[in-house]
Amino acid sequence: MGRHQAVAKTYRRTRPVDWGRSVHRRRYMRRELTSVFLIAYALVLLSGLWRLSQGEAAFDAWRAAMSHPLALVGHAVIFVAALYQTISWFQVMPRTLPDSQIRPASITRAGWAAAAVASVLVLALFIVGGAK
Amino acid sequence: MTAQASPRTIRIEAMRFNPETDKEPSWKGYDVPFRDDMSVLQGLQYIKDHLDGSLTFRWSCRMAICGSCGMMVNDTPQLACHAFLRDYMPGPVRIEALDNFPVIRDLVIDQTSFLNKLEAVKPWLIPRAQRTPADGPNRQTPEQMQKYHAYAQCINCLLCYAACPQIGLKPDFAGPAALALMHRYNADSRDQGWPARAEMANAEDGVWGCTYVGECSEVCPKAVDPAHAINQNKANSALDYFGLGKKLAPSEGGQ
Repeated sequence: MGRHQAVAKTYRRTRPVDWGRSVHRRRYMRRELTSVFLIAYALVLLSGLWRLSQGEAAFDAWRAAMSHPLALVGHAVIFVAALYQTISWFQVMPRTLPDSQIRPASITRAGWAAAAVASVLVLALFIVGGAK
Repeated sequence: MTAQASPRTIRIEAMRFNPETDKEPSWKGYDVPFRDDMSVLQGLQYIKDHLDGSLTFRWSCRMAICGSCGMMVNDTPQLACHAFLRDYMPGPVRIEALDNFPVIRDLVIDQTSFLNKLEAVKPWLIPRAQRTPADGPNRQTPEQMQKYHAYAQCINCLLCYAACPQIGLKPDFAGPAALALMHRYNADSRDQGWPARAEMANAEDGVWGCTYVGECSEVCPKAVDPAHAINQNKANSALDYFGLGKKLAPSEGGQ
């Protein structure tokens, strides 16, 4: 690529990328890792939808499986990962938006607030739905 | 007037590579006397002047303006003139050539790949119509200048390339500085060059090659924030994909 020619004799270092080299890289890897848990939870929900399509008995069996202690522990782990993903993603969100006069910290706090409001709404729907 | 503290000594371990005799780099240590106001660059200059004249490194301005003395200092990309030996006590300080670049000799890297990437983003004003000196000054308002001013501070020191893990994985990725400078011109009210730069921006090795680790912005000595430049252009690239490229042109005029 390009008209500039590389120097003929150089030493090319071939070493794997060190993802733990800096605090920024480690923070990035933690953020990306938590997204794997979000995918896992999406698959759990999809499996529930799939079991629902197979009839009431299949769905009840899926719900029973979800009540197993191991499933509950899994949900707790996914919840913590989702919380970390939410917090860390809104921390980096300002750099994904166009330049503006709004302070990055304000954008982050607005994101957290939106996530909190959405969570409360979902929880309220769950409580109202469960009461009926 | 306070008495100046007597010089302390710190060990500097420098990466050495002679292309005429070596198959791979090796490390050589030097004990360097220093005072609190001495930079890492001054430490290297002491080695060259007093201990080993064969040590090779680039430098020029000594004040974080020229971007020549970028190197890895204890595994972190730094301008050697912008890092102080006192901060690395008790040592040793390990200095090697910038990561992710071929090494020509000792601490000197081959910048060719970056020069080609920089040229590929067309880092110059592309106006809608060709202007001549007879047209007079091409004015813009302070607000219009503010849109690109931070990105115009890049000194091509290449610390961001050494910091970027994606460059290590995908050497053809255009990289932080080139894409930040692309945005610097795209955001300029005197420039209408997005169509000419779109192919480069939209490519797999363009803005989409970035996974937003963000380390480029952390190591930048001029606060250019390449991560911001790249990631806001992912939205621009998506707009371009949906045929909304006209929205990307900055507003013209504004005397």
